[in-house]
Amino acid sequence: MVKLTVNGKEVDVPAGTTILHAASAAGFSIPTFCYNPRMDPAGSCRICAVELEDSKRTVMGCITQVTEGMKVLTESSKVHEARKTNLELLLLHHPLDCPVCDCGGECPLQNMSFSYGGTDSRFESHRNDEPEDMKSEVLVFNSNRCILCGKCVRICDEIQDVHAIGFINRGFDTIIGPPLGKKLDCEFCGDCLEVCPTGAITDRFVRYQFRPWQMEKTETTCTSCSSGCRMVVDTENESIVRISSREGLGPNEGSICVVGRFGFNGVQSKSRLEAPHVKKAQRLVPSTWDEVLPELSTKLSAIISRGEGRVAGLASSRLPLEDAFLFQRFMRQVLKTNFLDSEARQGFMNMALPLVSATGSLRPMVDHEDIVKADLIVVLGADPAVESNITGLAIKKAVRKNRAALYLVHGRDVSISSRAREVIRLAPGYEAVFLRTLRETLSSGTNDLSSEVRVRLDGWGVNPDAFLRLVSDVKSSKRTIFVTGRRFHRSDAAFEASHELIRLMGERGLFASEGSGLFVLPESGNDLGVLMMGASFEWLPGLLETKNSEQRSVWENHWNTKLPSGGGGLREILGGIESGEIRALISFGVDPLRFLPDSAGVRKILSKLELIVVADLFQGPLADMAHYVLPAASSFERTGHMVSAEGFVQPLAPAMAPWGNALSEGNMILRLAAQMGCPLPFDSIEAVSAEIFRIFPDLRPSTRNASYFQGKTGEILLSIPRSQPPHKAERESVNSRMTDFLKQTPHPIAAPVVGDEVTKGENTFVMTLSKSINHAGTQTLLDSNLMTIEGEGFLRVPRQWARKMKLKKGACVSVSTSHGRISLPIDPVSGMAEGEVHFPFHFADARFMELFPGKVSFNAHSGAQSGQTIDVKVEPIA
Amino acid sequence: MLKKFLDTILFTEIGQGLKLTLRHMFMKKVTSQYPKEKLVLADGYRGFIAHRRYDDGVERCVGCDLCEAICPAKAIRVVSDIHPEIPDRRYAKEYTLDFTRCIFCGFCVVACPVNALSMTKEFAHSSFTRNGLIYSKEQMLALGDRAGADSDAYLKVRNMWEAENSGKDEGHYHFPPISLGG
Repeated sequence: MVKLTVNGKEVDVPAGTTILHAASAAGFSIPTFCYNPRMDPAGSCRICAVELEDSKRTVMGCITQVTEGMKVLTESSKVHEARKTNLELLLLHHPLDCPVCDCGGECPLQNMSFSYGGTDSRFESHRNDEPEDMKSEVLVFNSNRCILCGKCVRICDEIQDVHAIGFINRGFDTIIGPPLGKKLDCEFCGDCLEVCPTGAITDRFVRYQFRPWQMEKTETTCTSCSSGCRMVVDTENESIVRISSREGLGPNEGSICVVGRFGFNGVQSKSRLEAPHVKKAQRLVPSTWDEVLPELSTKLSAIISRGEGRVAGLASSRLPLEDAFLFQRFMRQVLKTNFLDSEARQGFMNMALPLVSATGSLRPMVDHEDIVKADLIVVLGADPAVESNITGLAIKKAVRKNRAALYLVHGRDVSISSRAREVIRLAPGYEAVFLRTLRETLSSGTNDLSSEVRVRLDGWGVNPDAFLRLVSDVKSSKRTIFVTGRRFHRSDAAFEASHELIRLMGERGLFASEGSGLFVLPESGNDLGVLMMGASFEWLPGLLETKNSEQRSVWENHWNTKLPSGGGGLREILGGIESGEIRALISFGVDPLRFLPDSAGVRKILSKLELIVVADLFQGPLADMAHYVLPAASSFERTGHMVSAEGFVQPLAPAMAPWGNALSEGNMILRLAAQMGCPLPFDSIEAVSAEIFRIFPDLRPSTRNASYFQGKTGEILLSIPRSQPPHKAERESVNSRMTDFLKQTPHPIAAPVVGDEVTKGENTFVMTLSKSINHAGTQTLLDSNLMTIEGEGFLRVPRQWARKMKLKKGACVSVSTSHGRISLPIDPVSGMAEGEVHFPFHFADARFMELFPGKVSFNAHSGAQSGQTIDVKVEPIA
Repeated sequence: MLKKFLDTILFTEIGQGLKLTLRHMFMKKVTSQYPKEKLVLADGYRGFIAHRRYDDGVERCVGCDLCEAICPAKAIRVVSDIHPEIPDRRYAKEYTLDFTRCIFCGFCVVACPVNALSMTKEFAHSSFTRNGLIYSKEQMLALGDRAGADSDAYLKVRNMWEAENSGKDEGHYHFPPISLGG
């Protein structure tokens, strides 16, 4: 510990602390421009000058480390003089165009000039008059306003690890921008925009459209992916102007990805549903809630009077905990059916089922802080930076700061591949056999592979030497984290692969040791929460099994009713509709016609229904078939809580009034249940939250702000201790269950089905559907901002193939299977496996889905849709 | 006794009382025949607020919202955007000034960094509806065009003309040319 005095106040700090932190610990704040607690200090703005009493010198607070007996003055006249001179120099070339600058009103330089600067400058110089860089559609670079603090360059390098912008030229001519004067081409996270202390980087989407003081700020949680980023929604007159963040806010510590930051226009587009619609004479006509609800309740009552299990329900995974809870209770208690399912069935269920059976919990054992501290991170079939941007940042930080070994098991290069120690190529569908081989090799204790295994690995596209390095790293690592994602969860053998992975981790004792564990990336904002609340036929709230009469009776007693068992998920629902058993379908934001292949066949099945009710934000294929279309509130218009991939339970706050007559799903259910004469005992969503938190104390809201985050003022305070909320699963309970799980016989693995419908030829590829970084789901296709960034789905093909075929980006190719043919523009990318192509699923429209086999297939164990990978023939169009 | 008698019969008190009136009969007239005659108002008169243009006819307002921020009566509403014709220029897409709320304090004119606002000598605007007194930007520009030199005079007499003539680049918001494409 080092003892020093700051403004006469004695303070003890650890050696190596900077004066800035020491002063903060003593309770004095020092102004900064270029300092950001997340990044290494740079000392470039010279505004944090402090005086050392003994040497009468001014030094920079953010980069000078404290020494024993140092006497620091933070507010002496000499310090003021130094800061004022610095400001005069910073303003030397800075244009005084604050009235037209978008940063005006929230500009640290403006504030600082106001508090330190005089009205006159002693220096005379020309004002810079460089043209603004308007090449990018997203950001505007104005080099005149730049004070060269370098925060944007550093956040792009150190936090995002994207390296998209840098310093250009030297001396007075230095400007900031994308290299070589090119158009900005990056992940468009907008973090540089956020940290810029002047108006040098501004947002082009809302250019000149706002003033910070006019806007109301609402802190809410992003629902686009499972990261659970906290963000600030700026609204003016009930419409969203922009989305920003605050330094250190939430688990994301102030970073938001492109979808969170720019993807807010979809919910205020003209195509939003405003009023309930009723089908009359084959046409949907607008109506009112007072007309629709009695009609709907009569129809539903007539259907449920015929017996149990006559209605099926689908719920979106973006519903908050409360709405998911009400959904399943409404289905089970009022509509007397157990045919209910959520979007998690599209893939995440493959992991959730084995995970719950093995560990009893869906909450992760590790969070981003553990990822940063890990020795070894094995990413299985995931693109973390794309699927859950903040997890990607944690992994990048682990590799960059702590030299963690990163192994990536994926069919192609993803954005974090360049940081990986080894990229293990694995053809889709081989995850289970790969993990079994890995598990057996690890438990065999040998450090070499038999030739037979080598041949097998080669067959799956795996490099045996890379595999061996992974084996030895898993053996030697103390803190190992496995990360699984979309590609892993959606592969045909995902259920078996998840079993294998959990067994492998159990055998290695990874569930028992602190800092090791499994980090699952669900696809939607609240996959975990929706399943925890029992919005699936397998589970009641709290992951109690529906089939188990003892566990069922817990809720039966609590709700004082009899709950249906049996039932089923999407597969059984489609079967039930086809057989005529299920007569009505209620969908809360799920459109099977969008993601299931053979939409004509599914449409035919659905047309047998007496009643289709759709609650959604927009009109879609299923809503076109529906008898009642109910306008739902978006995540910006409702209250509720979301469970993030890290296990945090974070609130949604309404930033704007409901669109038109839209209602949140929970409110719809409450009103409908009351109308049906079977009211649920809640008068508001808040009452539901209270009930959930009472029954599940561990689901009480929790979050993690960075240690320096200081509530609403937005000031950075460096010395608040962070409290650790109980968001992770309990290791003891997980461990005790794991021993039972390991005693079971391993789950059998079916041999991977290799598509053989197209004869393997020169231009034959395996096509997977991937997630694009610029979109989330299909709703973002209605967002003008995100469509400006990425407005068309490109088929990503291997660059070497495109070169051979002499095809450039944007050239159209014909993609065909034995079921259909479509022409798509291509984007040649490097780092793809030889025989693989992928297409962003957001753009997979009905014509695209015709490429898939005409029969919907499901995983036998999990009921998740399988066959999401197909063989295609890609040929240039002559 | 006699004096009182004389005062009574000669009505001297009335004479005394009318002395001032009678004196004014021979003085210069002060009452003006409004509206037939108009008063000459001082240059600093705080009448209706007008929008000004540059000499080339381009509206000055850059939609910076500072007038809205300073207005104590919350009479001003500005919606800014990119100028549809002059590329990369900020302007007020909508500008409304509610003269039923305006207290004619002149703060907005002081706040305006580009001298786009000025107070005119017009004061007699009446309307049968409240909405008739909520002025749009076009109406305020028309006011400014009508006021002409009066609006300049206001700024001069209120010491706000300096920014106009100082020759420093702070006063004029010229916008850097943009480089598109590439």
